[in-house]
Amino acid sequence: MKDNKKPEESAAVNFLGRWGEWASVHWKKTLLIALAITIIMGIGFSSLKLELTYYSMMPKASRQVRDLKKIIKEFPAASSIVVVLQAEDRHNREDAEKTVKAAVDNLTKMLSGPGYSDYVSQVDGKIDPAFFKEHGLMLLKAKDIKRYRKIFSDPGLVPFLAGLNNDFEKEYSGNEEKLSEDKQQITSQFKGLKEILEEMKRYTEKPEAERLTNAKLSSSIDRFLFGSPYFLNRDGTMALLFIRPTFTINDMDIFVKAIPLLDRAIKKQASSLHVKAGLTGLIVVGKDEMVTSEKGLAVSTTIALILILIIMILSFKMYSAPLISGIPLVIGLIWTMGLTGFVIKRLNILTAMYMIALIGLGIDYAIHLLTTYVQERDDGNSFTESVKLSLHKSGAGIVMGALTTAVAFFALTVAKSAIVKELGIVAGFGIICELLAMLILIPAILGYRNHRLLKRGKTESSFLNRNKLQYRIVSLLGTGIKAKPLLFMLLTLAAGAVLATQANRVSVEGNMMKMEAKGLESIELQDTMVREFGFAPDTLSVITGNIESARKITAKMKKLGSVKEVESIIPFYPSQKEQTRRIKEIKAFKKNLVLQAGLPGSGNTGGKASGNTHRKAGNNAGGNADEHISRERLINELNRLKDNLLEMSDLAYSAGMDKILYALNSITGLNMEGKQTGEPVIDKLIKSINDTPDAMRNIDAFQKYFSGLMRQKLLKMADTKRIDISMIPDKIRSAYISKDKKSYLINIVPAQNPWITKNRRILLKQLSTVTDRATGMVLAADQMTQIAEHDGIKAAITAIIVIFFLLLLDFRNLKLSVVTLSPLVLSFASLFGIMAIAGIKFDFINIISVPLLIGIGIDDAVHINHRYLLEGKGHIDTVIEKTGKAVFLTSLTTVIGFASFIPSIMRAMRSTGIVLSMAMALAFVFSILFYPSVLMLMREKLNMNILPWGYKNNGTNNNGKNHYRGKSNSDNPRRQK
Amino acid sequence: MKSFNLFIAAAVLITAARTFNPYPAAGESNAGMIIKKADAPFITEKMYSVGTLTIYRSGNPRPGMEIETYSLNRGNNYYSLIIYRKPARLKGTAYLLINDDLWVRFASTGRVRKLSSSARENSAGGSDFSYNDMGESGKGMASQYNAELKSSSVSVNGRKCYKITLKPKAGRKSHYSKITAFIDRENFHYLKIDYYKNNANIKSLLFSDYRAVNGRDYPFKMVMESHIRPTKTEIITGKIDLNSPKVKDSIFTVSYLKRIR
Repeated sequence: MKDNKKPEESAAVNFLGRWGEWASVHWKKTLLIALAITIIMGIGFSSLKLELTYYSMMPKASRQVRDLKKIIKEFPAASSIVVVLQAEDRHNREDAEKTVKAAVDNLTKMLSGPGYSDYVSQVDGKIDPAFFKEHGLMLLKAKDIKRYRKIFSDPGLVPFLAGLNNDFEKEYSGNEEKLSEDKQQITSQFKGLKEILEEMKRYTEKPEAERLTNAKLSSSIDRFLFGSPYFLNRDGTMALLFIRPTFTINDMDIFVKAIPLLDRAIKKQASSLHVKAGLTGLIVVGKDEMVTSEKGLAVSTTIALILILIIMILSFKMYSAPLISGIPLVIGLIWTMGLTGFVIKRLNILTAMYMIALIGLGIDYAIHLLTTYVQERDDGNSFTESVKLSLHKSGAGIVMGALTTAVAFFALTVAKSAIVKELGIVAGFGIICELLAMLILIPAILGYRNHRLLKRGKTESSFLNRNKLQYRIVSLLGTGIKAKPLLFMLLTLAAGAVLATQANRVSVEGNMMKMEAKGLESIELQDTMVREFGFAPDTLSVITGNIESARKITAKMKKLGSVKEVESIIPFYPSQKEQTRRIKEIKAFKKNLVLQAGLPGSGNTGGKASGNTHRKAGNNAGGNADEHISRERLINELNRLKDNLLEMSDLAYSAGMDKILYALNSITGLNMEGKQTGEPVIDKLIKSINDTPDAMRNIDAFQKYFSGLMRQKLLKMADTKRIDISMIPDKIRSAYISKDKKSYLINIVPAQNPWITKNRRILLKQLSTVTDRATGMVLAADQMTQIAEHDGIKAAITAIIVIFFLLLLDFRNLKLSVVTLSPLVLSFASLFGIMAIAGIKFDFINIISVPLLIGIGIDDAVHINHRYLLEGKGHIDTVIEKTGKAVFLTSLTTVIGFASFIPSIMRAMRSTGIVLSMAMALAFVFSILFYPSVLMLMREKLNMNILPWGYKNNGTNNNGKNHYRGKSNSDNPRRQK
Repeated sequence: MKSFNLFIAAAVLITAARTFNPYPAAGESNAGMIIKKADAPFITEKMYSVGTLTIYRSGNPRPGMEIETYSLNRGNNYYSLIIYRKPARLKGTAYLLINDDLWVRFASTGRVRKLSSSARENSAGGSDFSYNDMGESGKGMASQYNAELKSSSVSVNGRKCYKITLKPKAGRKSHYSKITAFIDRENFHYLKIDYYKNNANIKSLLFSDYRAVNGRDYPFKMVMESHIRPTKTEIITGKIDLNSPKVKDSIFTVSYLKRIR
């Protein structure tokens, strides 16, 4: 440093002044230069891709992203829309079940029609049982086929009940885990069993001619064997319908139109069927997210914009002030996107959102320049001189402020997540581009304006001159601080310190769903699905190109505690080895059935039943369909069945398995608390058997029908043909095998809501013991939480360190550089404290306030430093008056801008609005109230030297030349106009 | 009446140790000694307690269950009998545990069933405790797990703790791949136990409200929180009686189980 050189009049500063003068005079040439740059940047802009998909959040080109893209492309079922249907009247469960089933059938028909073919490729309201009816046993594990053989060891009624009782006692007695494991199957069995018992009672009581046809009994047996084909909830009053759309989650423009259309049509039709309907699934949530992020903002953003325009017009006494600052702002944005197009080639969700923040940052440079320009004009300087001085006086602060902000953003490249690194680069470019656009264009546009005014012979508007905002409050603050700096410093410091004590309590929102709008139907229905149907629509997935690997992964995943269910092609396509085992068991099962039926070739004439341990030798207990049933044995088995059902009901109650409990209660006549509220079906049946004349004769007839039907169905199920992939129904196949038939999809249904960070991390940890290939939209949440939890803070610390060195370079004074950071540190501590007290959490959207606060917080202090060094000792009031106005204006416009997010119904937008407005207000408070007091106390009360190295605190340099006396304006050579 | 709590704690912390020596033997590792000191208060020959067990699902409590617990450490054998007194639906439901064997009596039918040995790994009464957690027999944690002191300065609820990792000894089967115990440095109270399976902390047991009973400090409140299901189970001990005359050999039989009302 040359000791006779004034630091604030460096070559760079002088260059800025000269540039301002030249550009305002040669505004045409300047505009042409800007145009040329814009054209070049336009080339970059044209190659920029908008990647606003969820997986743009995940590490680019990672296997997870590749797999996720493949799943969306190759497995159309992954983009399914889920329709949740609920009977309007749920009081009578049986009627409600009929209503929702009818609605499922009706809506399936409607949506499968040509009217919806543009958007709907397939509708699944129920499972086609044909495949299961034919290959049911081949789909059971060998040990379960053995169980079946024992249950159906004899087609007679009593042996069937005995077999069933034996099975219940062996498999489920006291075993909640097994009951829970078989929840789906056992619930269906209970419902089917209830229907069979009711049919039996009808047969017992009614004369032959009045009996219902076999169709009802047949459907009851089907229900017992195969369950309900509908996707019903725990009490059967709700159902699900899956729509496979023709579009995916990446076709935003289509789904934004298609989903509301489907929603309206489905709701209208459902209403006519006395059913409430709602849509959910990730694609629906995505649509809702897009719509709600804009909802509620139209009025507030318009008001904010008008307010900002009025403030700018009145502050700068120019109707064209919004244009003078707005045009460079837009050009700066175009340059930023152009540069991004050249370097990164895409905008992701985070960088696209940052463009809004860039508007807030870029406009500040215009405000600082225009404030000084207007002040110089008010001081009577000519137009050219005023432009020159505005760049001369504010330029250094603006450049330094922009550099520190850019550095703060570039520091984000230290982040772990690629998306934050991208943000760092784009945001850094953004600041540089905005700075250049402002420095190049504002003088030129002012020159053009001046040219127009001169040409028309006009002067500044007298209306605006009369009504311009004076910002007397800022002047008053300046006077107050100058008079009582210690008071201001202590008060603000104390406030900051109190808030800082709470700062460590601020937390991070890990549940992305809590960032969505409150009361959003698609989100609430996700919880409804977990509560009523026992699963969440958001799964994790694994794709593999090898069926054997799919088998291993499926088997291992099933054992993980954090996994509720694993869905894949594997249950429908057993291995050849397993099929061989099953065929052997099925043959034994079939042989037994044939033998018992006395069918040709069995060698049995129909007297003995095998496998029935409860039948006494010689007791013609009714094992074979043609035998007479023993009343005593039948009643014994029915009582035993009742006991088993009661015991399982106790287990289901204590384990909170409501779906099973509902099914059991409907048989036992108990309510949820275990009180007898209705007569149990079994008691009614026993009563009928005891009271009805000819009951046993009727039961014998029932047995004939029942055994015949059951045997027929079981024999059909016992097909021993090996299952080939081509035999699996297309609906199942296309859900788990890719279109190109090269990949297999495994869906992992988590036991807990995976959007909650804690749950997701446990799930991912456990999954990592099986595979590292799990993917899904849920993983985007992990990236976002990581951004909010680690990257934001890590980048902020790095930024502050780098900024410190920049400050050191600029001010060449250690004390000043350190103290410049103090308003920023206080702002952060206070912001965190307020957030903790108000219960506002950081999320991946509002975390953007961190770099923004660094940028603006440092900028304000840097501007004040430069001005104070320029104005000198004893002129802190002038510093606050001159710089404070611009700082106030930038803060006010930014707060108004961000506060316009607050009315948003989307919680993330609202919290972003609150956090950013607070951050800007705090930055202003600590920059204007606290920081000038500290500067003044340091230099003027404690006589600390804050001047650049080589200068003494009295303003003289090593050669004794006095540049910083600070006694009066005239004494200070740097206070020239 | 906190006997059930005590029972659970004793069981969870591997009570049974009939001939348990509460003081670490010479040459044992620090971690082993700490674990033994922490286990010591839970070791008792006879114990009777009454407590309330409440299961929370998604944060909502289900009706609390009042439970009587009898336990007996006799020689190499460990016995326990748990009887549900409330709610009405479960009144009279009882579990009898004799070493590795488990029987259940159903209140609704009065029938008694012996459960398979694999059922011991299952959830006990729908809670977040497994039968194994509740009645793990053997020789105490130190004898079944290799203990390693990980830290002496971690904090749980503001208390400085020892953090000890326990891994099953070679050849010993355990439901958990790892257990981490947090033991108060000052009084050797268990404060928290984390259970790990497949690399993840699947549930945590939190101890609080320690009170002196017969010169021993017992946790009157224990909460087992599942990290893989939206549930937690809270056990509040109401009454506890050591060496209670109510604990007799004759009650730990299947025939007594059948007579329970």
